[in-house]
Amino acid sequence: MSDPLPASLAGAVSGRPFTRRSLLVAALAGTALAVTGCTGSSGDEADAVTPAQVDQLAAQVQVQEALVAAFDRAFAAAPELASTAAPLADQARAQLDRLRAAAPGGAARSSAAGSSTEAPVVDAAGARAYLRAQVAAAADAHATACPDFSGGRAALLGSIAAGLRGQDGQLA
Amino acid sequence: MADGSDASSTSSPTAVEDAALQEALAAAHTAVWGYGVVGAALPVEARDPAYADEQAHRDLRDQLAGLLASRRVDPVAAEAAYALPFPVHSATDAATLAVTLEEGASRAWTWVLDQATERSTRELGVTALTAAEQRAVGWRAAAGKAPVTSAFPGLPET
Repeated sequence: MSDPLPASLAGAVSGRPFTRRSLLVAALAGTALAVTGCTGSSGDEADAVTPAQVDQLAAQVQVQEALVAAFDRAFAAAPELASTAAPLADQARAQLDRLRAAAPGGAARSSAAGSSTEAPVVDAAGARAYLRAQVAAAADAHATACPDFSGGRAALLGSIAAGLRGQDGQLA
Repeated sequence: MADGSDASSTSSPTAVEDAALQEALAAAHTAVWGYGVVGAALPVEARDPAYADEQAHRDLRDQLAGLLASRRVDPVAAEAAYALPFPVHSATDAATLAVTLEEGASRAWTWVLDQATERSTRELGVTALTAAEQRAVGWRAAAGKAPVTSAFPGLPET
Protein backbone atom coordinates (compact mmCIF):
# COMPACT_ATOMS: atom_id res chain seq x y z
CA MET A 1 0.00 0.00 0.00
CA SER A 2 2.92 2.31 0.52
CA ASP A 3 4.67 1.42 -2.73
CA PRO A 4 5.68 4.44 -4.79
CA LEU A 5 2.86 5.50 -7.10
CA PRO A 6 2.75 8.09 -9.86
CA ALA A 7 1.55 11.06 -7.84
CA SER A 8 2.02 12.07 -4.24
CA LEU A 9 -1.23 12.20 -2.32
CA ALA A 10 0.32 14.50 0.23
CA GLY A 11 1.43 16.82 -2.53
CA ALA A 12 -1.89 16.71 -4.27
CA VAL A 13 -3.82 17.80 -1.22
CA SER A 14 -1.27 20.23 0.12
CA GLY A 15 -2.94 23.14 -1.64
CA ARG A 16 -1.49 26.57 -2.06
CA PRO A 17 1.13 27.77 0.40
CA PHE A 18 -0.86 30.99 0.77
CA THR A 19 2.16 33.17 0.27
CA ARG A 20 0.18 35.82 -1.57
CA ARG A 21 -0.16 39.11 0.16
CA SER A 22 -3.93 38.79 0.14
CA LEU A 23 -3.89 35.84 2.50
CA LEU A 24 -1.68 37.74 4.88
CA VAL A 25 -4.86 39.68 5.46
CA ALA A 26 -6.46 36.52 6.70
CA ALA A 27 -3.47 35.21 8.58
CA LEU A 28 -2.09 38.34 10.15
CA ALA A 29 -3.36 41.86 10.05
CA GLY A 30 -5.11 43.98 7.48
CA THR A 31 -5.36 47.29 9.21
CA ALA A 32 -3.01 48.97 6.76
CA LEU A 33 -4.92 47.85 3.69
CA ALA A 34 -6.55 50.27 1.38
CA VAL A 35 -10.16 51.23 1.71
CA THR A 36 -11.45 51.78 -1.79
CA GLY A 37 -11.59 55.41 -2.65
CA CYS A 38 -9.67 56.51 0.40
CA THR A 39 -6.03 55.65 -0.06
CA GLY A 40 -5.61 54.27 -3.54
CA SER A 41 -2.50 52.43 -2.38
CA SER A 42 -0.90 49.60 -4.33
CA GLY A 43 -2.77 46.92 -2.41
CA ASP A 44 -4.28 43.90 -4.14
CA GLU A 45 -7.56 44.91 -5.74
CA ALA A 46 -9.29 41.87 -4.30
CA ASP A 47 -8.34 42.95 -0.79
CA ALA A 48 -9.61 46.50 -1.05
CA VAL A 49 -12.81 47.18 0.85
CA THR A 50 -15.57 49.68 0.20
CA PRO A 51 -16.91 51.85 3.02
CA ALA A 52 -19.99 49.60 3.14
CA GLN A 53 -17.75 46.57 3.54
CA VAL A 54 -15.89 48.27 6.36
CA ASP A 55 -19.21 48.55 8.18
CA GLN A 56 -20.02 44.93 7.43
CA LEU A 57 -16.64 43.78 8.69
CA ALA A 58 -17.28 45.72 11.87
CA ALA A 59 -20.58 43.86 12.16
CA GLN A 60 -18.79 40.53 11.83
CA VAL A 61 -16.36 41.58 14.56
CA GLN A 62 -19.37 42.37 16.72
CA VAL A 63 -20.85 38.93 16.01
CA GLN A 64 -17.62 37.32 17.14
CA GLU A 65 -17.38 39.54 20.23
CA ALA A 66 -20.87 38.41 21.18
CA LEU A 67 -19.80 34.80 20.73
CA VAL A 68 -16.76 35.22 22.97
CA ALA A 69 -19.01 36.83 25.58
CA ALA A 70 -21.41 33.89 25.23
CA PHE A 71 -18.61 31.45 26.02
CA ASP A 72 -17.79 33.43 29.17
CA ARG A 73 -21.46 33.52 30.16
CA ALA A 74 -21.98 29.80 29.57
CA PHE A 75 -18.82 28.86 31.46
CA ALA A 76 -19.82 31.02 34.41
CA ALA A 77 -23.21 29.28 34.53
CA ALA A 78 -21.81 25.78 34.07
CA PRO A 79 -18.19 25.42 35.21
CA GLU A 80 -18.11 21.77 34.09
CA LEU A 81 -18.75 22.98 30.55
CA ALA A 82 -15.67 25.15 30.81
CA SER A 83 -13.54 22.10 31.52
CA THR A 84 -14.62 20.40 28.29
CA ALA A 85 -15.19 23.31 25.97
CA ALA A 86 -12.27 25.58 26.87
CA PRO A 87 -10.42 24.83 23.60
CA LEU A 88 -13.48 25.99 21.67
CA ALA A 89 -13.46 29.28 23.58
CA ASP A 90 -9.76 29.73 22.84
CA GLN A 91 -10.46 29.20 19.15
CA ALA A 92 -13.30 31.73 19.22
CA ARG A 93 -10.95 34.30 20.78
CA ALA A 94 -8.28 33.60 18.15
CA GLN A 95 -10.90 34.10 15.46
CA LEU A 96 -11.90 37.41 17.02
CA ASP A 97 -8.28 38.57 17.02
CA ARG A 98 -7.90 37.88 13.31
CA LEU A 99 -11.23 39.44 12.45
CA ARG A 100 -10.28 42.59 14.31
CA ALA A 101 -6.96 42.65 12.47
CA ALA A 102 -8.72 42.29 9.13
CA ALA A 103 -11.32 44.98 9.81
CA PRO A 104 -9.87 48.43 9.13
CA GLY A 105 -11.01 50.57 12.05
CA GLY A 106 -13.82 48.13 12.76
CA ALA A 107 -12.74 46.77 16.10
CA ALA A 108 -13.08 49.91 18.18
CA ARG A 109 -16.42 50.88 16.70
CA SER A 110 -17.88 47.41 17.13
CA SER A 111 -16.75 47.21 20.75
CA ALA A 112 -18.63 50.38 21.54
CA ALA A 113 -21.73 49.08 19.76
CA GLY A 114 -21.56 45.70 21.43
CA SER A 115 -21.42 47.10 24.95
CA SER A 116 -25.03 48.25 24.74
CA THR A 117 -26.37 44.71 24.24
CA GLU A 118 -28.19 43.33 27.28
CA ALA A 119 -26.81 39.95 28.39
CA PRO A 120 -29.29 37.07 28.61
CA VAL A 121 -29.62 34.99 31.78
CA VAL A 122 -28.10 31.52 31.38
CA ASP A 123 -28.55 28.68 33.88
CA ALA A 124 -26.42 25.57 34.29
CA ALA A 125 -28.96 23.25 32.70
CA GLY A 126 -29.30 25.34 29.59
CA ALA A 127 -25.71 26.51 29.20
CA ARG A 128 -24.66 23.98 26.59
CA ALA A 129 -27.74 24.47 24.41
CA TYR A 130 -27.38 28.23 24.75
CA LEU A 131 -23.73 28.10 23.72
CA ARG A 132 -24.45 25.82 20.78
CA ALA A 133 -27.13 28.18 19.53
CA GLN A 134 -24.73 31.11 19.77
CA VAL A 135 -22.00 29.22 17.89
CA ALA A 136 -24.45 28.21 15.16
CA ALA A 137 -25.73 31.77 14.82
CA ALA A 138 -22.20 33.14 14.51
CA ALA A 139 -21.32 30.50 11.92
CA ASP A 140 -24.40 31.42 9.91
CA ALA A 141 -23.59 35.12 10.11
CA HIS A 142 -19.99 34.70 8.91
CA ALA A 143 -21.00 32.26 6.14
CA THR A 144 -23.63 34.70 4.93
CA ALA A 145 -21.17 37.60 4.95
CA CYS A 146 -18.35 35.67 3.25
CA PRO A 147 -19.57 35.98 -0.36
CA ASP A 148 -19.93 39.74 0.05
CA PHE A 149 -16.14 40.03 0.23
CA SER A 150 -13.25 39.01 -1.96
CA GLY A 151 -9.63 38.04 -1.49
CA GLY A 152 -8.24 37.33 1.95
CA ARG A 153 -11.28 38.59 3.83
CA ALA A 154 -13.58 36.16 2.00
CA ALA A 155 -11.14 33.38 2.85
CA LEU A 156 -11.00 34.45 6.49
CA LEU A 157 -14.77 34.71 6.94
CA GLY A 158 -15.32 31.39 5.17
CA SER A 159 -12.69 29.69 7.27
CA ILE A 160 -14.11 31.03 10.54
CA ALA A 161 -17.64 30.02 9.51
CA ALA A 162 -16.40 26.50 8.78
CA GLY A 163 -14.50 26.32 12.05
CA LEU A 164 -17.56 27.38 14.02
CA ARG A 165 -19.73 24.87 12.21
CA GLY A 166 -17.28 22.22 13.38
CA GLN A 167 -17.67 23.53 16.93
CA ASP A 168 -21.44 23.40 16.57
CA GLY A 169 -21.21 19.68 15.93
CA GLN A 170 -19.02 19.18 18.98
CA LEU A 171 -21.51 20.92 21.22
CA ALA A 172 -24.43 18.79 19.98
CA MET B 1 -0.74 21.09 -8.53
CA ALA B 2 -3.43 21.25 -11.13
CA ASP B 3 -2.65 23.60 -13.95
CA GLY B 4 -5.44 23.03 -16.39
CA SER B 5 -5.93 26.75 -16.76
CA ASP B 6 -3.15 29.29 -17.05
CA ALA B 7 -4.44 32.48 -15.49
CA SER B 8 -1.55 34.52 -16.80
CA SER B 9 -2.02 33.67 -20.46
CA THR B 10 -5.73 34.07 -20.96
CA SER B 11 -8.12 36.96 -21.00
CA SER B 12 -11.03 35.08 -19.45
CA PRO B 13 -12.51 37.15 -16.62
CA THR B 14 -12.69 34.03 -14.46
CA ALA B 15 -9.24 32.68 -15.32
CA VAL B 16 -7.81 33.23 -11.85
CA GLU B 17 -10.70 31.60 -10.04
CA ASP B 18 -10.81 28.82 -12.64
CA ALA B 19 -7.21 27.98 -11.74
CA ALA B 20 -8.19 27.77 -8.07
CA LEU B 21 -11.20 25.63 -8.95
CA GLN B 22 -8.89 23.27 -10.83
CA GLU B 23 -6.93 22.84 -7.60
CA ALA B 24 -10.13 22.11 -5.70
CA LEU B 25 -11.00 19.58 -8.39
CA ALA B 26 -7.57 17.98 -8.04
CA ALA B 27 -8.15 17.75 -4.28
CA ALA B 28 -11.54 16.11 -4.90
CA HIS B 29 -9.96 13.55 -7.24
CA THR B 30 -7.36 12.83 -4.56
CA ALA B 31 -9.98 12.46 -1.84
CA VAL B 32 -12.06 10.05 -3.93
CA TRP B 33 -8.99 7.87 -4.38
CA GLY B 34 -7.84 8.29 -0.81
CA TYR B 35 -11.16 7.31 0.72
CA GLY B 36 -10.86 3.99 -1.04
CA VAL B 37 -7.74 3.41 1.04
CA VAL B 38 -9.46 4.71 4.17
CA GLY B 39 -12.39 2.34 3.73
CA ALA B 40 -10.20 -0.66 3.02
CA ALA B 41 -8.29 -0.12 6.28
CA LEU B 42 -11.42 0.13 8.42
CA PRO B 43 -13.40 -2.80 9.82
CA VAL B 44 -16.39 -3.60 7.61
CA GLU B 45 -18.84 -2.40 10.24
CA ALA B 46 -17.08 0.99 10.45
CA ARG B 47 -16.89 1.80 6.75
CA ASP B 48 -20.12 3.74 6.27
CA PRO B 49 -18.62 7.16 7.13
CA ALA B 50 -15.83 6.57 4.62
CA TYR B 51 -18.33 5.61 1.92
CA ALA B 52 -20.44 8.68 2.66
CA ASP B 53 -17.47 11.03 2.62
CA GLU B 54 -16.12 9.50 -0.59
CA GLN B 55 -19.51 10.09 -2.19
CA ALA B 56 -19.48 13.70 -1.02
CA HIS B 57 -16.18 14.24 -2.81
CA ARG B 58 -17.49 12.46 -5.92
CA ASP B 59 -20.48 14.79 -5.99
CA LEU B 60 -18.26 17.83 -5.58
CA ARG B 61 -15.87 16.54 -8.24
CA ASP B 62 -18.73 16.19 -10.70
CA GLN B 63 -20.08 19.64 -9.84
CA LEU B 64 -16.66 21.23 -10.32
CA ALA B 65 -15.99 19.42 -13.58
CA GLY B 66 -19.36 20.60 -14.88
CA LEU B 67 -18.72 24.17 -13.81
CA LEU B 68 -15.31 24.29 -15.47
CA ALA B 69 -16.60 22.64 -18.64
CA SER B 70 -19.39 25.22 -18.82
CA ARG B 71 -16.64 27.85 -18.94
CA ARG B 72 -14.83 26.00 -21.73
CA VAL B 73 -12.04 25.04 -19.35
CA ASP B 74 -10.73 21.48 -19.59
CA PRO B 75 -11.24 19.96 -16.11
CA VAL B 76 -8.08 18.50 -14.64
CA ALA B 77 -8.09 14.71 -14.69
CA ALA B 78 -7.44 12.34 -11.82
CA GLU B 79 -4.09 10.64 -11.51
CA ALA B 80 -4.12 6.90 -12.02
CA ALA B 81 -2.97 6.47 -8.41
CA TYR B 82 -1.29 8.41 -5.65
CA ALA B 83 1.56 7.76 -3.24
CA LEU B 84 0.36 7.60 0.35
CA PRO B 85 2.02 10.01 2.79
CA PHE B 86 2.37 7.20 5.36
CA PRO B 87 1.51 3.50 5.57
CA VAL B 88 -2.16 2.83 6.32
CA HIS B 89 -2.48 -0.39 8.30
CA SER B 90 -5.00 0.38 11.05
CA ALA B 91 -8.25 2.17 11.74
CA THR B 92 -6.27 5.00 13.34
CA ASP B 93 -4.06 5.28 10.25
CA ALA B 94 -7.19 5.36 8.12
CA ALA B 95 -8.73 8.15 10.18
CA THR B 96 -5.48 10.10 10.03
CA LEU B 97 -5.44 9.75 6.26
CA ALA B 98 -9.03 10.98 6.11
CA VAL B 99 -8.00 14.03 8.13
CA THR B 100 -5.19 14.64 5.63
CA LEU B 101 -7.65 14.42 2.76
CA GLU B 102 -10.18 16.77 4.33
CA GLU B 103 -7.59 19.31 5.43
CA GLY B 104 -6.19 19.26 1.89
CA ALA B 105 -9.66 19.93 0.55
CA SER B 106 -10.06 22.76 3.07
CA ARG B 107 -6.85 24.41 1.87
CA ALA B 108 -7.99 24.16 -1.73
CA TRP B 109 -11.38 25.68 -0.96
CA THR B 110 -9.94 28.48 1.12
CA TRP B 111 -7.75 29.28 -1.85
CA VAL B 112 -10.86 29.33 -4.04
CA LEU B 113 -12.43 31.84 -1.66
CA ASP B 114 -9.30 33.97 -1.88
CA GLN B 115 -9.20 33.86 -5.67
CA ALA B 116 -12.87 33.88 -6.59
CA THR B 117 -14.26 36.71 -8.68
CA GLU B 118 -17.82 35.40 -8.87
CA ARG B 119 -20.15 35.59 -5.88
CA SER B 120 -21.63 32.20 -6.78
CA THR B 121 -18.15 30.69 -6.56
CA ARG B 122 -17.66 32.11 -3.08
CA GLU B 123 -21.05 30.67 -2.07
CA LEU B 124 -19.93 27.29 -3.36
CA GLY B 125 -16.59 27.72 -1.64
CA VAL B 126 -17.90 28.46 1.83
CA THR B 127 -20.33 25.54 1.58
CA ALA B 128 -17.62 23.12 0.45
CA LEU B 129 -15.13 24.37 3.03
CA THR B 130 -17.68 23.98 5.82
CA ALA B 131 -18.53 20.43 4.74
CA ALA B 132 -14.84 19.50 4.63
CA GLU B 133 -14.28 20.81 8.16
CA GLN B 134 -17.35 18.99 9.48
CA ARG B 135 -16.01 15.74 8.05
CA ALA B 136 -12.54 16.51 9.40
CA VAL B 137 -13.90 16.95 12.93
CA GLY B 138 -15.26 13.41 12.94
CA TRP B 139 -12.05 11.93 11.56
CA ARG B 140 -9.83 13.84 13.98
CA ALA B 141 -11.84 12.35 16.83
CA ALA B 142 -11.49 8.87 15.32
CA ALA B 143 -7.74 9.43 14.94
CA GLY B 144 -7.42 10.51 18.56
CA LYS B 145 -6.31 14.03 17.65
CA ALA B 146 -6.95 17.00 19.92
CA PRO B 147 -8.45 19.46 19.58
CA VAL B 148 -10.86 17.96 17.10
CA THR B 149 -11.96 21.36 15.87
CA SER B 150 -9.96 23.97 13.99
CA ALA B 151 -10.22 27.72 14.41
CA PHE B 152 -9.13 28.39 10.83
CA PRO B 153 -9.77 25.46 8.51
CA GLY B 154 -7.67 25.80 5.39
CA LEU B 155 -5.65 28.74 6.67
CA PRO B 156 -2.29 28.86 8.40
CA GLU B 157 -2.80 28.77 12.17
CA THR B 158 -0.53 31.79 12.68
